[in-house]
Amino acid sequence: MVPAPLIEAGAGSDLYRAPLPLRATIPHRIQDDPSARSALDISDARELIAKIASGAPPLGWIDTLLSQVRFADVNDTIVQMLAPFAGAWRMIGQPVSAFWPPESRPVLAELIMAAVADYPTGAPRTRASTSLGFTDCEVTISTSEDDASPDILIVSVGGTVMDDRSLWMVRASEQRYRNLLHHLPFALLQVDARQIGAVYEGLRRSGVTDLQAFLDEHPDLIDTANALVMVTEVNASAVTLFGVDSVADLVGPVGYLFAASPESARRVMTARFEGRRSYAEVMKLRTFDGRLLDVAITLTYPRPPERLDVTLISVEDITDRLGTDAQLRQLQADYSRAARISMLGELATSIAHEVNQPLSAIVTNAETSLRWLQRPEPNLSKVGQLMSRVAESARRASEIVQRIRGMAGRNAPEQSALDLNDIVYEALVFVRHDLETRAIALTLQLGTGLPGLLGDRVQLQQVVVNLLLNAAQALAMDQSAGRIDVVTAISPDGMLLFSIRDNGLGIAHTDFDRVFDSFFTTKEDGVGIGLAICQSIITAHGGAITASNHPDGGAIFTVLLPPIAPE
Amino acid sequence: MSKSVVIAIVDDDEAVREAICDLLQVEGLAARTFDGAPAFLAETEADFDCLITDVRMPEVDGLELQRRLRARGSSLPVIFITSSSDPVTRRRALEEGAAAWFMKPVADEALLQALRSALGAGPVDGASA
Repeated sequence: MVPAPLIEAGAGSDLYRAPLPLRATIPHRIQDDPSARSALDISDARELIAKIASGAPPLGWIDTLLSQVRFADVNDTIVQMLAPFAGAWRMIGQPVSAFWPPESRPVLAELIMAAVADYPTGAPRTRASTSLGFTDCEVTISTSEDDASPDILIVSVGGTVMDDRSLWMVRASEQRYRNLLHHLPFALLQVDARQIGAVYEGLRRSGVTDLQAFLDEHPDLIDTANALVMVTEVNASAVTLFGVDSVADLVGPVGYLFAASPESARRVMTARFEGRRSYAEVMKLRTFDGRLLDVAITLTYPRPPERLDVTLISVEDITDRLGTDAQLRQLQADYSRAARISMLGELATSIAHEVNQPLSAIVTNAETSLRWLQRPEPNLSKVGQLMSRVAESARRASEIVQRIRGMAGRNAPEQSALDLNDIVYEALVFVRHDLETRAIALTLQLGTGLPGLLGDRVQLQQVVVNLLLNAAQALAMDQSAGRIDVVTAISPDGMLLFSIRDNGLGIAHTDFDRVFDSFFTTKEDGVGIGLAICQSIITAHGGAITASNHPDGGAIFTVLLPPIAPE
Repeated sequence: MSKSVVIAIVDDDEAVREAICDLLQVEGLAARTFDGAPAFLAETEADFDCLITDVRMPEVDGLELQRRLRARGSSLPVIFITSSSDPVTRRRALEEGAAAWFMKPVADEALLQALRSALGAGPVDGASA
């Protein structure tokens, strides 16, 4: 069920003064009247009015009557009084019963009946009413001053405000709200979602707890919501963002917001159904002038006890920012890869050794197998055993080659769930032999039961290799027996911790501020990008890297990375 | 009667040392393997007739192993099998009394030839062969 738009907004029209969708024309403009005034259209209620007048009012005739009488026009004052957050556009054309307070409805219904009976000569009639924000409240009704509009009645509400100051404060607050809304630098939409709220209530009463599942079976509810939820007010930034001419172009069913991202509508609905206070996501937005933007939308849902069912939706264009972010990520990836290639070159000997070991075993095992086969009585079981070792070594060589390829490849950074200790082991392939050559003793103290982390395997391997190389090279400048201690653990504040400590000379105090700077190096043949790369990779993973000197000597580099959040 | 020949194989890579051990076995030579120099040094070197060792190993490398043996007065023949192509290290190993020097992967016949030679006579430099 998709209701027709409540209004048809004209280009260039002002929010409160757009052409009215009325059957009856209203010669009498009520806008400039300082009291709370509205024009009521009784054309749809003629039949019922006649029936009531004949002395046979049906049961519940007051509500029925007020549901057939519509607002033809409202001034700002009555909007403030009856529906401050819905706005004039939500009132015009709608039944009076949707807005008039229940306790005052009998008074209004009786006044309508009296005014119709008086037509065309009746003087204005006034009756005291409860509520409506006044003490000594009075509702006055008169027929239209223009004889040509017998279906229009003018209703005004007046009285004494008990606390004059509080009313003005409310008005001032309302004005501040409006100023804020209209001058915010990002697009803001105010929507009225009461009707879909009522639908949700019905669903809950009928036992629906999982809206996602319900929407799977009833996808048409999304269209219904897009049609039922009404944008009642938007600010100037929204007009610019959506590429329309005026505010009125955006007032109406909210569906246009989700035209390019139907799945977002679904998530927004679910968030409200689940009673969430707010919801935010990045989605695609198709503007009215055809642009496709990346926008961050944030919804603030109404919630009891506020009762005012006003949802605020902010929409921020982040297309440029995302583009810049993507470029930065690409630069970082290219930079990391360049550093990896350089690192692989530095480690060529070590890597060659790693590959050569299994190849060497393969050659010897194959030659030994031939010797067994060339015997007068070939020992096939021995040959079988050797062949399985050949296969095992070949697989090992292949894995090493894969890792090298991963390091050298132009793969885009890829997020996957990783084990920190695996990363350390994998990185050792590249440096183990280099450390042995330098006669550096390596100890591993790897924590057990560590949580996983989300990251790019190759880049994190690169960090470990870089830090190990850095430590090894620091030790090379020292004469004492080299030693590197690698620790993985969980830090006191729940972060994954990885530290590398060497027993070298440590970092000069004057260098602490610069160790992570690009092109800073203390090595004669160093380029000074290793640690800068480490920092950029770790930062991109939401972590931190620090350098310090251990009290017992040597430098210690500590990396902290966020673990995967528990489900 | 002569005691049977036993060869010691020292390499930190299990696949490599087991492969060499199997090669010797097919030729009827007994061998024992060690995953590093310290494990071998804990043994009585006189129980062995030849030592086949890697060069680059953690803790104690192959050259240092040979030096320690010589320091103990041992004349145990030492055959190096290595991935290193560093000519300085090779020359030093041979100067310090190595029986042979091979690059990995070593040809079976060359290794056995060097072994036979070491068990009987002077040094073989497989790298210059």
